[in-house]
Amino acid sequence: MKDSANYKDYALLSYHHIPGVHNLEIFERAGGYETMKACFDKDPEAIKEEVKQSGLRGRGGAGFSTGVKWGFFTKDRSAIKYLLCNADESEPGTFKDRYLVEKNPHILIEGMIISAWALGTQKGYIYIRGEFYHQAMILEKAIKEAYANGYLGKNILGKGFDFDLYVHRGAGAYICGEETGMISSLEGKKGQPKLKPPFPAIKGYRGLPTMVNNVESLAAIPWIMKFGANAYKQWGTEKSPGTKLFSISGDVNKPGVIEVPLSTTLKEIIEVHCGGVRNGNKLKAVIPGGSSAPIFNAEDSLIVKMDYEDVAAKGSMLGSGAIIVLDETRNMGEVLKWTLEFYHHESCGQCTPCREGTGWMEKILKRKEIGVAKKSDIELLDKTAASMRGQTICALADAAAMPTQGMIKVFRNELEQYVTTVAKK
Amino acid sequence: MTEKVKFKWNGKEIEADKGSNLLKAALDNGIEVAHYCYHAGLSVAGVCRMCMVEQDGVPRPFPACNASCGEGIVVRNDTPKIKSSIEATLSFHLLNHPLDCPVCDQAGECGLQDYYMKHGQYDSQMVDKKVHKDKVQDIGRNVMLDAERCILCSRCTRFTEEVTKTHELGILNRGDHAEITVNEKLKNNYAQNLVDICPVGALTSKDFRFKQRVWFLEEVQTTCIGCETGCSVKVSENKNGAFRVKPSYDHEVNGHWMCDDGRNIYKHVSGALRLFGAQENLNGLFVPVDEFKTHQLAKGKTLKFILSTGLTNQEYEKFFEKIKGKSAQVALYVLPNQGEDFDGLLTRGDKNPNLRGARKAFEDAGYDSSQNALDKLLSSVSSNDAIFVVVPEIIYNEDHFNTLISKVEKAGLKIALTHGETLSTLRAFDFLLPIPTFVEKNGDIINFQNKKRALRSGISYGETSKDVSYYAGWVNL
Repeated sequence: MKDSANYKDYALLSYHHIPGVHNLEIFERAGGYETMKACFDKDPEAIKEEVKQSGLRGRGGAGFSTGVKWGFFTKDRSAIKYLLCNADESEPGTFKDRYLVEKNPHILIEGMIISAWALGTQKGYIYIRGEFYHQAMILEKAIKEAYANGYLGKNILGKGFDFDLYVHRGAGAYICGEETGMISSLEGKKGQPKLKPPFPAIKGYRGLPTMVNNVESLAAIPWIMKFGANAYKQWGTEKSPGTKLFSISGDVNKPGVIEVPLSTTLKEIIEVHCGGVRNGNKLKAVIPGGSSAPIFNAEDSLIVKMDYEDVAAKGSMLGSGAIIVLDETRNMGEVLKWTLEFYHHESCGQCTPCREGTGWMEKILKRKEIGVAKKSDIELLDKTAASMRGQTICALADAAAMPTQGMIKVFRNELEQYVTTVAKK
Repeated sequence: MTEKVKFKWNGKEIEADKGSNLLKAALDNGIEVAHYCYHAGLSVAGVCRMCMVEQDGVPRPFPACNASCGEGIVVRNDTPKIKSSIEATLSFHLLNHPLDCPVCDQAGECGLQDYYMKHGQYDSQMVDKKVHKDKVQDIGRNVMLDAERCILCSRCTRFTEEVTKTHELGILNRGDHAEITVNEKLKNNYAQNLVDICPVGALTSKDFRFKQRVWFLEEVQTTCIGCETGCSVKVSENKNGAFRVKPSYDHEVNGHWMCDDGRNIYKHVSGALRLFGAQENLNGLFVPVDEFKTHQLAKGKTLKFILSTGLTNQEYEKFFEKIKGKSAQVALYVLPNQGEDFDGLLTRGDKNPNLRGARKAFEDAGYDSSQNALDKLLSSVSSNDAIFVVVPEIIYNEDHFNTLISKVEKAGLKIALTHGETLSTLRAFDFLLPIPTFVEKNGDIINFQNKKRALRSGISYGETSKDVSYYAGWVNL
């Protein structure tokens, strides 16, 4: 993967260039699991504090401080509780966790063992997206190796600490990537988010305290514990420290997953890491944080810095770090249609505004198909999206409404033209 | 003693138990809050998003059904922000609703209609094709499902999960294609409650549908006489008859629910065979007759009464007052147990609605209410007797009642005091004399917990001016 002149080893992908690193033996030879062993001599509270100091923010999309989240967790070490790794990476445009786990499953397992030790959880689950069959097999094999080496199971390394880790495959529902939806699914129920409060850290899987963290967050733990919070903070900004994986797709010459410090400019990511827009085309727009993030026009795309604050200040969100690049050949109406189709299909159907709203938005945008489209439909679409926001149990309604409103804000004229133009057969 | 807290809802001060449900506290205090999925007898789902409120110091609106009462909190749902969000959410509820109110039995008591008057947008912006789902589905136990009318509040699925624990219902599919489905037909004896808790017309009763518009009905608050539990119920009726029985909330006895057996107790009230006056048996055919004839025939005979356990305390009292100091024999016919003793929820095997009241009245008047006394009375029946049998309003075990009747055959004059011509066995009687049914008289009955519950009278569908004590007045004339 070291084919880019600008590629540097940071934290998460620092093992990825080693051939066969998915084997425990090679991973250990490269220094893997050493941090875990060292951590068992540390006080769990000290580990939590170190993670909090590092300023690591949840990499699943919401960007909530991992250390603070851990702070909500019960300190009672004898209480039964769970560590749940969210590997249900389903946000359109996101494929960073898949890449991370596929090449180096042990970094996740190491991170989970350290986290389990810090949090005192006796059992862990990796809830992996159903379509990631290959990756699930890789994880299964890696877990088997870790069991064989005594890193998992009863009395790990003679420290009197038990931790069992299981892989659980989802069945392909986007909503199971929402932490409470994931818990419902893991419990064997229909994948539907649960009302909060209570939050999973208090009452989660089977009604017991459950800590849900993203793959990337957990995989960053070994590095942070090895080099310390201060070293991690050398990258990024004060509020967005560290490095982040970005999955870049769309109209660039070299799409893929990269690890760069937060606050790297989008321009650098596109032009340097991804070899620029394909065919020398003009950049039209960029979705910076997965399909639920509002879109940037070309102008904003070239000045935005990829950290939580700057992306938010420009009216979008960093989300899962899925950058979708769109060049001048793309029709924004089609992009929105595709987005709305996705959210309509994935709404769990529990809360009324989302259940009915996602379907209706798709229908409004497709009114030209039944010959009733008007220019003012875009206004209605905007209003409908606005009335879905903040009204539901989980963020899926917002995830459908935000890109819709964002798209209307930036490309209103193009959308008005799109809905009223009937394609010639 | 639970701690009380005071808080403000739209400026009105409310006192409630600390930590109790915020929405319930508001509803209990007479505040109208739009809601579909919340039901006090079920767990909280928080999915209809109608009861959204804003609280001072809380950044985002939240549903009141998932919040609890805290000291000094200030909650509002009348702010412009909340009002517009309720409007929007209601329009989402109605988006794929078929709007078939003219043929829907829920019309008039439908949550969608009620809130539309207040929160509706009136101007439709929907020109798109609606989502179609299965409409006329018989899901068993007299319940019909129209999935298009459903707003997926999940009350019914929670009911079968939490109350009956029979798990027949579930929600299949996602998004706006989600719909209620049965994995098998309903099999619980509480299925009709689903019709009550459905806030819209998705679940309707096969027994009630297409019979009446609800705005033509009046409700009589009374007590179920189906078994000794004595659930508080409402009987809906108008001059055309009684049409349905619904539970009414009674936290001491039945909570929010009642069983399906109890739903049928109204049927004899306005049935085709109700008695409007005395009838005589002419070789198996009952024809109206002047009551005076019966009266004359009874003269000079020994009068024997077999009372049922379905009368009110007041009726027993008046009856015994009338025969006080006169020579009449009285015994009590107790209905046999039917089915299991207690099904774990409400239904009890003892089908006598007022056994406790009857026993007490017998005791107070110095009569024996035991089976022995009944046997004694029956064994002494002779041709010089006029025997009055009060026919129980609801007879579950006909064979048992037939045995009783076969024992009174020797009597010279056999009279049934009944609400109507109900059983083939009544052909054994010489005369039928009318008495009122349970929704045509005022009085009390005593249920299995020794709690007093009231019977209330509504409209009369037969001759109801004469009760058991009236006929008791014939003794020793």
